[in-house]
Formats: sequence, structure tokens, C-alpha cells
Amino acid sequence: MDSKPLMLAALMLLAFAFAGYRFFLRLRPMFGAPGIDRLDHIGERLWGLVPNVLLHRRLLNIRYSGILHAMIFGSFIVLFTAIIQAFGSGLFPGFSLAPVGGDSIIALLQDVFAVIILIGVGMAFYNRFVIRPARFRGSNNKDATVILLLICSVVVSMLLEFSFHIAAGSEPSAHWRPFSSAIAGLLAAVGFAGERANEAAHIFYWIHVCVILGFLTYIPGSKHLHMFAAIPNIFLRNIGPKGQSRAPDPKATSIGLSDVRRLDWKGMLDLYSCTECGRCQAACPAYAAGLPLSPKILIMNMRDALIEETVVPAPRPSAPPAAGSNLEALVGSVISEQTLWACTTCRACMEVCPLHIEHVPKIVDMRRHMVEAGHVTPGIQDAMASLQQYGNSFKKPPRMRAKWTSGLDFKIKDARKEEVDILWFVGDYASYDPRVQRITQTVARLLQKAGVDFGILYDAEQNSGNDVRRVGDEGLFQNLSEHNIEALAGCSFKRIMTTDPHSLNALRQEYPTQGAKYEVVHYTQLLLELLREGKIAKAANEKVTGVVTYHDPCYLGRYNNGFEPPRQIMAELGYKLHEMGRCRENSFCCGAGGGRIWQDDTGVKERPSENRIREALALGDAAIFAVACPKDLVMYTAAVQSLAVEDKIQVKDIAELFA
Amino acid sequence: MAVILVYVEAHDGIVAPASLETLAGARQLADGSGGSVEALILAADPTPLLSQIVGADRVLTVSHPSLAAYLPEAHQAVLVEAVKARKPDLLLLANSYVGLDLAASTAIATDRPVVSYCMAAALAGDVLTTTNQVYGGKIEAIAETKLPAVAAVNPGTFQGTVPARAQAETLRLDPPAALGSLASSFIEALKEESGDVDITQQERLVSVGRGIGDAANIEIAQALATALGAEVSASRPVVDAGWMPKSRQVGKSGHKVKPKLYVAVGISGAPEHLEGMRDAGFIVAINQDAKAPIFDVAQIGTTCDLFDLLPALTERLNTRNA
Amino acid sequence: MHIVTVVRLVPDLLEEIQVNEQGTDIDREWIGVKLCEFDDHALEESVLIKEASGGATVTAVGIAVEGMDRVLQSAVARGADRVVKIDCGEANPDSRALAKLLSEALPQLKPDLILAGVQTPEDLFGQLVPFLGALMGRPHASGVTGAQVDGNAVVIQQEYGAGRAARLKLALPAVLGVQSASQPPRYVSGTKLRQAIQGTKIETLSLAASGAGSGTIKEMRRPARGQGAEMIEGEAEQVASKIYDALASRGLLGGK
Repeated sequence: MDSKPLMLAALMLLAFAFAGYRFFLRLRPMFGAPGIDRLDHIGERLWGLVPNVLLHRRLLNIRYSGILHAMIFGSFIVLFTAIIQAFGSGLFPGFSLAPVGGDSIIALLQDVFAVIILIGVGMAFYNRFVIRPARFRGSNNKDATVILLLICSVVVSMLLEFSFHIAAGSEPSAHWRPFSSAIAGLLAAVGFAGERANEAAHIFYWIHVCVILGFLTYIPGSKHLHMFAAIPNIFLRNIGPKGQSRAPDPKATSIGLSDVRRLDWKGMLDLYSCTECGRCQAACPAYAAGLPLSPKILIMNMRDALIEETVVPAPRPSAPPAAGSNLEALVGSVISEQTLWACTTCRACMEVCPLHIEHVPKIVDMRRHMVEAGHVTPGIQDAMASLQQYGNSFKKPPRMRAKWTSGLDFKIKDARKEEVDILWFVGDYASYDPRVQRITQTVARLLQKAGVDFGILYDAEQNSGNDVRRVGDEGLFQNLSEHNIEALAGCSFKRIMTTDPHSLNALRQEYPTQGAKYEVVHYTQLLLELLREGKIAKAANEKVTGVVTYHDPCYLGRYNNGFEPPRQIMAELGYKLHEMGRCRENSFCCGAGGGRIWQDDTGVKERPSENRIREALALGDAAIFAVACPKDLVMYTAAVQSLAVEDKIQVKDIAELFA
Repeated sequence: MAVILVYVEAHDGIVAPASLETLAGARQLADGSGGSVEALILAADPTPLLSQIVGADRVLTVSHPSLAAYLPEAHQAVLVEAVKARKPDLLLLANSYVGLDLAASTAIATDRPVVSYCMAAALAGDVLTTTNQVYGGKIEAIAETKLPAVAAVNPGTFQGTVPARAQAETLRLDPPAALGSLASSFIEALKEESGDVDITQQERLVSVGRGIGDAANIEIAQALATALGAEVSASRPVVDAGWMPKSRQVGKSGHKVKPKLYVAVGISGAPEHLEGMRDAGFIVAINQDAKAPIFDVAQIGTTCDLFDLLPALTERLNTRNA
Repeated sequence: MHIVTVVRLVPDLLEEIQVNEQGTDIDREWIGVKLCEFDDHALEESVLIKEASGGATVTAVGIAVEGMDRVLQSAVARGADRVVKIDCGEANPDSRALAKLLSEALPQLKPDLILAGVQTPEDLFGQLVPFLGALMGRPHASGVTGAQVDGNAVVIQQEYGAGRAARLKLALPAVLGVQSASQPPRYVSGTKLRQAIQGTKIETLSLAASGAGSGTIKEMRRPARGQGAEMIEGEAEQVASKIYDALASRGLLGGK
């Protein structure tokens, strides 16, 4: 048929033009968007594609979904050869992959993977319509169904095309296509043979080609765009320190993200990469608490706002935007303020996202905009005002910061005046909150008994600013960090130790952006060192009996990889550890981070801390809930009290586990 | 031989209790120095107020339509004229919101010193010695002011009953001309929206102050209140922060309450707050600062952490019925 | 429409207040100072009036003392248009002296409305607003909880306590003593503050202060405890138990 190449070429032109236009509309905002440097360490970036793309590491965290995706993904790669064959032979009569095994090994692979992909699609349908996991809530099920149906159609039409060819006897690779041959047998049995079968094959060829072209034009408007966006997005992921925020551009006229069009192009690529899988939503403590934040829906909304911007023709400059249209500012109308304030910045979402989408930096950037505009919750305002005035969020004078030391029978060295080996950056909560002061004193006694040469900054210490930066007040963060850096510059020490993971993160990862680098350890690491050096007795606290479960603090674990020291301490002291399901990187945030501890509970249906205690209780035998963070101590002690389970489980700091 | 002029506040035809106290005080000071007391009433029609005045040797009245409702400019004009005409050695006012308007302005307009927030006063010759509350009640100042002077006195400073005496002489003063050309006017009286609960009628109150830390923590106090059969009230900072409605505010700018039991949680006891509750029958104070002024008026107190104590006390109350 | 708002630094009551060695003043050497909270509300109300009126300007005025620069810069971050520092040679003029000073300095600024906080923690010898109003011969009112400009006058809400309040109208220029602003003082981000700190030009005026006219403080002291409360110490359960007993024995328990 001579018209076949022409027709095909015409169809392809049409499809490419249409699809190309739709792709262009989505790429266009990226052209003008600010850039960020993500082309460093090319080797490391490329190498990272192996576990993330090839090995489906994060996808396999949910075994069923990971497997079905691997099946579909692998099949796509193999069946790409079929696409090459279909279009190649259509445009250039005589084109064939036979020289490279197109009629032998490739044919076999195509046939086998066609079945594999259909099983995968079947599993996907089952997942979406029978299992119906909660993480899909809010996702676009129509889009997902259409994609699955399109995949089905592509593959089935391909199979049938080959089957009919086999039935017609005109398929050279028939021996290598077991399944297609089987189907051919059925077709022959119902009377398809010879010319009839060839005609049918042709029909299914055109169906196959048209569905593929249709799929191509459908992709830009669908989450299947991730097919093109995923690998670049993973390649361009953040390989820098997880706990380091990107400082705002000093040359920018406005601070923070007020409009989705102002995202940098990597941020926009993030939006296009989202597959609406909902793993982030399932991991989010705010979502679990019933607050109006789902990381997935946040990204979806931002994506929709970005696309609407460019797909809908822009109105003439004189006409105001239509009410309710996404042309209004991003924050406030597209993303609500409550959504943004609900985030604890725990990073659970980013930890599980297979596409390495960066949810938290976007939230923080939008918060920066709100803070500049003065749209903060009263609790945050109070806390920021107190930090501005007193350097702590407790509205207490700086002089009272070291008041907890009066409960000790020895004097702690003043690091401002004397040289010390370890400079202990105590932190706000550990200094000012009466519930935590007890633990701070315990740690002091442990260090003293172990003969550690340590000192504190007394009233020169201020809040490290970690959560201030995450609330979005860059100026206040700079004030606090400048102050602390100046105080530290006047001291002589080898390492900084802190009992507070948030301070740990700020000192270790954020302060280098302010020009100050220190070696910073968490107290659990120091205590482990002392334990191993024999400077602390390897005896368990006899008052602490029973099985222990341990909660990984977000800023120690996910942000700073501090999973091992507390566990090793417990092991060396002889405690029996029963891990909760959501442990290590999957730890479930207590709900206090990101400024949430300065806000009230409106909208909270179940406190994350209570959810976590229930998880610990469900272990059945855990009598001790061990923590290594002052905010965790406060949140979980309150949760145990409000759940009235003091007789079943007790919250203890790691420091209290020592004899 | 001091002549003491007392500015009397009244509204809705009733003399303010604070003014009656001030009159009693003026009486004490005058009797101690062989002086006399003149009470000054401003009203559109002073007649209904006359019988409520006790302790004055003379009652001065000024009546004018512009005096129907309190207007700072009008009252100041009258008071300044009265002071210039009567030349009292001491002008006494209650340290109320009206006193805040009038004491200092009258003093500077009549070239007299003024001393405010007095909680004790004594006259000796031509020197007025006062004890004054400053720095949120954390410090007392002893001040000496030479007469003629103006003093604004905190409620609760002068106590005691005034001995009955002969009906005071009444004297009408002419309203000053300025009342005819005032630059200000009264528009209307405003009533606070009544809340769900009238705390002034409660027998037991659990009151929260800044120490509660956060709106979310108020429920700890509510739990205690429920167990105790009490209602929750609050100090000004808590209401200003929006954590509780104004109808629940105790203090100078809130309500005066006189419950049988008042549990002050995280309240430091600034004078403005004490003004609203010091007459409570039994006061229990919980505050981390052992030096907080609230402990001066409380019967029992503790520096135990309220976040530990309130649940413990609630528990104790709940188990008594178990 | 020009609004002038007065800002004053006062000892921070959050801290422990000590009496100095002579016993006649508080120990000012170590005490922290902050913007008087009522002046904070006055500043907020000034900016709110400016925003409601469109075209009004706000000038914040303070006495040249240590820390005042920062307060004036913060006022700009909050919405003030101009800031003026008055060098009067004296570190801490009392309200009466300050009022005399301002009654001479302010007319140069041609204010239509003057706002200040209703009181400070240390103005026992009289409050700024009534002094200033009387000296300038203008209507004044304190205990103000809201103000709206209406042509050549200002309509205010004046509070009296116990749920009573009134709406009054004062012809401009007027002097208002603010108890609380119509809305709580707004949030100003650290970034705005830093920008204000760098970019603000503070104008200065020089005027001598005269102090006479008030009484003298003979002594300052901590209040005598009197009977004071019976203090209960111990663990929460013990204290709770003792309180419970004290209440039960007096028949003060209610509920259930």
C-alpha cells in the first residue's frame, strides 16, 4: 500500500504538532524561570539513577506497587522496539529489525513482556479499584484509568496485530512469539485466516499506531508526563545537604514564593514529575492529624496552577483576572494559608517520593512570602516577637537561660571565658522548659562524671534559628545565627555538642551558608563514644525496666543520619529494643517541628504524638518510649498524659537510660 | 487644716463605689489634720446623687446638659474651674479610667504636682506622703508631694466606714463658659457583648494568665474547672491575645469578681488584675515565680509547675467521686 | 492628615526588678528595656488609622536614649513614615517633663492627631497624655480602645472597665491615650526589620527638658509580703493533695 507511508507521515505530523504544542505550553514557563545549579557532580547524579530508576528502590517500599511498576516500566523499555518497528516499517517499507534479532530474540521479548505488562496493568487496576489504598485519595483517578486503558490498548492491539499476522501466515517471527501464536490459534479456530487475517492485522496495525499517537498527545496533560520528566528530575535531584535551606536570592525584588510562575525551572519540573502516587500523603504527619495539608495535593495544585496559567490564553493586560481563576496569587487562593502552616518540615514526604520531588523547600518558600506580608498565625507572631526581643521563644530573659544549672552541685565552665573541649549548645527547650531541664541536668551529670571537658555559652546562646528559618523569617534567622556565630567565634573548642536535633541541624548544615563551619555532634554520639571508652558505666538504669522502643527524631534521623548511636547505646547498656514499624527513615514526626510547636491545635483531629504513642502501645510489650529530642520529650509526655496511659508506657530520654 | 476636694464619679445615677471609698479616705485625712472635705459632683441633674454622698462637709454641684454623660473635656473644664475657685489643698480622685483622664490634666492646668497609683496616703503639715504601686506592682515607691497637690488613689486603699454626720451643705457652682464651646461630644454608650457566662456571678473561678502559654493549653484549666464546678476566667494578656473572650476578663479593664474560690493559674498579680479579684473569699495561686505579687493576696500558693499540677489536681478531684 | 505617635522605652517587667543601692530608684544598670506595650498599641493604631484614611502620614517620636534608634527603626518597619529623635540632654525625663518638652516640639510637626500609650510602669507622677492635652489646650482621652478619623474630628471608643465603654467624638487636633489598638500589633518579619535598620533616616531635634513640678521619691522598695500566701512545695501529686484537702475542709469544692 503506497499511501501507507504518506498517511502515517501525515498522522504523525498531526500528532507531533499537537503533542509538541502541548509539550511546549508546559515547557514555556520553564524557559523564563530562574535557574539553579544542579549540574554539579554529574557522575554521582548519573550513578544515582541506578538504584532510583533501574532498581526501583523507593517504589519497592510498597512491594505490590513497586513490582507492578517494574513490570510496566520494564515492558515499556522492551516494547519500545515494537514502536520502532511499527513506525519504521510504516514510514519506510522494508524497514525491519530482523538484522538485530527483530524476528527472533526481540520478538520473544516483545511477546513475553506484552503479557507481563498486561499482568502489571491488571495488578494496577486491581490496586486502584479493589484494594483502593488511602494514599490515592485526592488523586485523579480518571487520568490513571485512562492511562491504564491506553497502555492496555497499545499492547493488546500490538498483540492482536501479530496474532492476526501469524494466523494469516505472514509473520516471520511466529516461532518466537508463543503467546501471539496461541492467540492466532484461537483466531484461526473462529475462521480468521489468510487474507481476512491480514486485513484484520492491518486494522490492528492502524489501531496500534493511532493509539500510540493519541497517547503521545494525551501525555502532556496527564500525570504520565512523568515518563519524560522522571529521569531528568531524579538526575537533577538535590544531592547537597538535606538540612540546608536555599537562601533567597539577595537580588530578588520580593522574598518568598508568591506565584507559581516564579518557581525555578527545577521546581517546575518537580510539578510535572508528580505521579500522584500519594506515598508522601501517606507519610505526612499533618495529613494524618487531619490538617488540610497533603504534600501530594499541594504539588498537584501547584502543577494545575502552572498549567492553567499557560494553557488558558492570557487575558489582555487591561482585563482583570476572572474571579476564582488561577491567575490570582498562588498563595492564599490556590494554596491556603492553613495548608502551609500545617507542615512540620519533617521531610517524610521527600524521603519516600520516588521522583525525588522537593515538597518542603516549596512550602518554606511560600511561607517566606506570607511572613513578609505579615500573614502569620498569632502563635507564630508571639514566638517570633519573643525570639526577636529575647533570643528565645519562651518570653524569658536571656539571663535565665542557664538557670537550669543551679540544680547541679558543680559549676559548668563558661565557654566564653575558658577553653573547652566540647562546647555544649544547649538549645531553647532544653534550657527553658521545666519538663526538659531535668534531662539537661541529667546529661550534665553524665558528662561531669565521665570527666568531659565541656562548657556552655550561658546567656550568650540564642535560639539556633532552625525552625525560624523554616517558618520563613529569613531576617530573624540571620539575626539569630549572626549572634550565635559571633558568640562562638569568641570561644575556643574542638567540637560542638548539642542535645537538640534542631540546633544540630542548624549548626551543622545551615550555619555554613552563613560562613561558619563547625564539627557538630549530637549528644547520643558523644555518649556512645564515652560508653565505648569506658568513661561511663555500661549499666542500665535499674529504674528503667521493660522493653524499650525508640523514636527517631526527624532532625537527627532523616536530616542528619543519626540512626545508629542511640540504638548502639541501648544495645550496650543491655536494653531490649522492639522497633516500631515506622522507624529510622520512616519515623513518624511528633508534630512539633517547622514552627508547629508555636501554634495551637485547631483543625487537629488526632495529634501526631498520640498516633505515635498508639503505635508504640500496639507493639504489645514496649514499656519505655525512648526519645532523644527535647521537643519529642515534651510532645510525647503530653500525649501519654492525654491518652491516660502512664501505667502502660513511660517516656524516657536516652540520658535517663544510663545508670 | 487641709481642705480636701474629692471628685466624685457617677454614672446612670449611681455614685461609683471607688468614689465613696475616696470620700471615706478624704474624711480620714481631713479628720486627722482638722480639715474639711468637699465633694464635687458633675451631672446634668445632680439631685439623685446627693443622698448617696457621705463624709463630706460640703457638696459642690455643677449641672449642665453637657455633663449628662462623661466627657473628658467637659469634666476637666469644670474641675479646673472648681480647683481655681475653691483652692483645695488636695484634690483626690479615684484611680479609675476617668481618674486617668482628669488627675494629671487638672494638675498641670492648675500648676500642681500630681501623684498616682496611691495605695496609702498620709498628711503631715503641707506634705502628702503616699505609697505608690509601680512596675506592675513589683515595686512600691514612697513619695512626698508638697501641697497643694492632686492625688489619684487605687481602689481598696481606704477602708472603713464613714461615721454618720449631719447632712452636708450643698453649694451650686456655675458651670464654666467653656462648656458652651466644647471641641468634643458624647456619641453613645457601648455595652460589651454579653458572653455565655457571667463570671461575676460565679462562686468558683479558675483564672488563667500568661503563664498558661498557649490557647491550646487552656483546656487543662478547663478540665480543672469542670472537676471543681467552676468557670474559667482570664487576665488581660490572655484576652488581648484572643485566647478567651472579653466577657471572661478579670481586672481593672475587665470585671470585678468576688467568688468564694479563685484559683489563679500562671497569673503574676499585676495591680490591675488584683483590683478585679482581691476580694475573693479564698485565693489559690499557682505561679513559677515565688516573688510574684499574686502571692500577696493569695491564701495558699505554690511554684509547682502548672502543667504537672493542674492535671494532678483534676485527677484528685475526679477520683473523689469514684 | 498627620499623626504623631510617641514611643517610650521602659524597664522590661518580665525581668526581676531590683532596687538600687541608695534605695531611691530601681537598678537600671542591668535591667532590660523595651518599647512600652501601650505605646506599641498606640503605634499600631496610628498605622491602622493611616491605612484606613489613605494619604495620612505617621511620625514616631522618641527621646534620645540608648536603644531608641532600634525602636524608631522598628516603627518604620511597622509603617511609620518619619521618625524623630529628641535630644533633651536628660536620659529619662518623667512624663510631666516629657509633656512640656513635647508641647513645644510637636507643634513644629503640625500634628492633627497625637497618640501615646495610656501609661508606663513608672509614671506615678502623672501620665503623658492628659498632661500633653492640657498643656496644648486640646481635647484628650485615655483608655482608648479604637479610633477612627471622621473629617476634622476623631471618633474614639473609651473603656471604663466592668464591660462599660462609650463612643466619643473629639475635634482635631486631639491627644489620645491608647489602651489597646483595634487590632493586635501586626507581625513584622525579621527581614523587614533588618531593611528598616539599614534604610531609616532618623531626624533629630534638640530641646532642653525641665523637670520641676512633681513630688519626689523618697524610697523604693519591694512590697512587704504581709501575711502572704502559705506556700506549698513538693511533687505535683503531693501539692494537688494538699490543695484538695485545703479546699475540701473549707467546703469550697463544687462540681459533679
